[in-house]
Amino acid sequence: MAEPDYDAFREEVRRFALAHCPPEIREVVASYRKLSRKIWAPWQRILHAHGWGAPSWPKEYGGTGWDARQRVIFDEVMAECDCPPQYHHGLRHLGPVIIEFGTEEQKQRFLPGILDGSDWWCQGYSEPGAGSDLASLRTAARREGDHYIVDGQKTWTSHAHEADWMYTLVRTSKEEKKQQGISLLLVKLDSPGITIRPIRTIDGWHHVNEVFLDNVRVPVENRIGEEGKGWTYGKFLLERERLGGANIAPHRMALERVRDLVRTELAGPAREEERGLLLHRLLEAEAELLGAAELGRESVQAVMDGKPLGLLPSVVKLSTSVTMQSISQVALDAVGSRLASRFRRVEGEGPNANPPGLEWVQNYMYARVRTIYGGSSEVQKNVIARQLFGN
Amino acid sequence: MPFAATPLVAGETYETALRFGEEAAAELAPLAEPSAQAACLRAQWDRIAALGWPGIAVAEEEGGAGGDLAELAALLCGAGRTGLALPLATACGVVPALLSGHPLLADAASGSARIAAILPGATQDPGEEALRRQPNGALHGAAVGIEAPPAPTHVVAFVEGDAPALLLLRADAPGMELVASLRVDGRLAYDIRCRGAVPEAVLAEGDEARRRVETARDLGALLACVEGVSAMGALIEQTVAYLNQRVQFGAPLATQQALRHRVADMYVEYENLRGITAAALRAATTEDVLPWRAIAFAKLRLGIAGREVAESAIQCHGGMGMTEELPAIRLCKRLLMAEFEHGGRVFQARRLLAA
Repeated sequence: MAEPDYDAFREEVRRFALAHCPPEIREVVASYRKLSRKIWAPWQRILHAHGWGAPSWPKEYGGTGWDARQRVIFDEVMAECDCPPQYHHGLRHLGPVIIEFGTEEQKQRFLPGILDGSDWWCQGYSEPGAGSDLASLRTAARREGDHYIVDGQKTWTSHAHEADWMYTLVRTSKEEKKQQGISLLLVKLDSPGITIRPIRTIDGWHHVNEVFLDNVRVPVENRIGEEGKGWTYGKFLLERERLGGANIAPHRMALERVRDLVRTELAGPAREEERGLLLHRLLEAEAELLGAAELGRESVQAVMDGKPLGLLPSVVKLSTSVTMQSISQVALDAVGSRLASRFRRVEGEGPNANPPGLEWVQNYMYARVRTIYGGSSEVQKNVIARQLFGN
Repeated sequence: MPFAATPLVAGETYETALRFGEEAAAELAPLAEPSAQAACLRAQWDRIAALGWPGIAVAEEEGGAGGDLAELAALLCGAGRTGLALPLATACGVVPALLSGHPLLADAASGSARIAAILPGATQDPGEEALRRQPNGALHGAAVGIEAPPAPTHVVAFVEGDAPALLLLRADAPGMELVASLRVDGRLAYDIRCRGAVPEAVLAEGDEARRRVETARDLGALLACVEGVSAMGALIEQTVAYLNQRVQFGAPLATQQALRHRVADMYVEYENLRGITAAALRAATTEDVLPWRAIAFAKLRLGIAGREVAESAIQCHGGMGMTEELPAIRLCKRLLMAEFEHGGRVFQARRLLAA
């Protein structure tokens, strides 16, 4: 098979993004405001109508059939054009699991809604007692005829408040190893017995929730794969995610935006030294990103060659998460004294609305999570050390 | 299997340089006296000259071996793992670039001419002046701590002024004084003072002189990064080996999470530096002109990552980290010194900010 013309592909994606992504959507992305279903869903519909709904899925399931390099180029151009990154829970997490392990009926029923953005999914993994140590989860499902009865609590559930469905890991039996006896269920969020409560996070945005499951009935046909093998499917899902870090474009966009912010916020000769200090810190972040970009390039090449990625995903995750935090720190240092002091208006309407630019403060607070989620820095270091020390 | 670093450029040259560097380090290790170390380096220089290293990337018609930048990088990769105390980046990269087109290049390539290069940014002691050319052509001023091959025969100096120029002087010319030191990393450096010394030749003038020293310095910076990546890879290997073997409180230190995480941090710095250096090297070998921005960013990273990794390695070695002779610690000192070669981080940051 002839190799695709990647430069032409990049141009094609860019033309499409600029022509078809609505300005009001790009404006939200460009200003770092919170993305929600209202922003994502219409964009997913547009992509799907163009045949680009699922870049990482095989063609027979409505995917694009692109290779790894095309997928990363697509993501890069989307970021460069301020298009929202595709909502990942259905497309990147659950979809591939259904394609790999789901029944024909499950594929027919769930894949179309993910593709066109009409169904919204969230992930019910973490629990109050099971964060980085996910296998300690305790939410239990017991079989009653052709239903499971689910009891327990999920937490950190992003987007549960706007989702229709939750894919969730539950314990269907107690086994010797905690990784065993876990099953993957698909739960409709309007089922009786479900309560969703927002978690107030330090950034002032609403993205995560607690989800309480109290005697929730889930049809057995909503179980993916075999009972008790949920951990395998969960791992499959996380392993497919490992190329996610190869796309450094969002980081570069953040860097350029903060550089502009520093130049405008600290304009004028009186603030020259302050400006110089912050611009210098951004330079160091830029150097880190250049190194990370090359590691991303190596990752894509490894996937293209069918070679193992080794420690690359852990290294890229560790370093880019910290670099993004550094960039957000510079932004905070530029606007903090003016805006961190006005984080929430007491009366939030009309002339009392939040001052423009507050997103930089929120974004700084949000950036703390980058070294916590997706395998915390400490977990990644354990992974790296095990490999380096050979034990 | 514990970590083993992969060289940026492998091959025969890499292997030869690695073997040479290991022997050279073993030879130097027992010598405590600076004069004995300097004599040892002088003898090692003659051996690398016999191997043709100074001319490895000099065109055949100019008296060299005609190798390309990748060949030169392979040399630095091999030597870098051992912390070789000879100035390969300067002697095999920077100096040939400065001498381009001059007959002395053939002698530099053979190693018989040993050349110290004074480039813009060279430092002076307090109260001293940078080199300047008097109307009669004679040179006055000083430059201190100039990394050079043992017992330089010549000095190439860039002088600012109304007519910037790149000048060639004999080291033994009247009015020249050279005083040798050993740097932190055990390499030789010279304080060079000119009191009315008369240059033997003008190598370049005006913009051409400036362009030539800038290109030469960027080449040196790139090679320092290549060398630094190798040194860092070897240093992490040796730190891992030490922690695996050293037992305290009844268990190998490698079982302590605090130390494991510190090594993981070293590895992240190493990988990042390897990435940015690989990208700069690739650009340098495929483009017609040296990609100065890519090199400046890489050198900026080398300064930061080099110090971070060296300090961590010393910490991980505990009291042993404070000793002179441990091979790992020699690599630490090499990494700490790299910051000051061919434009440090402040210099690189300033030019990037100004661009």
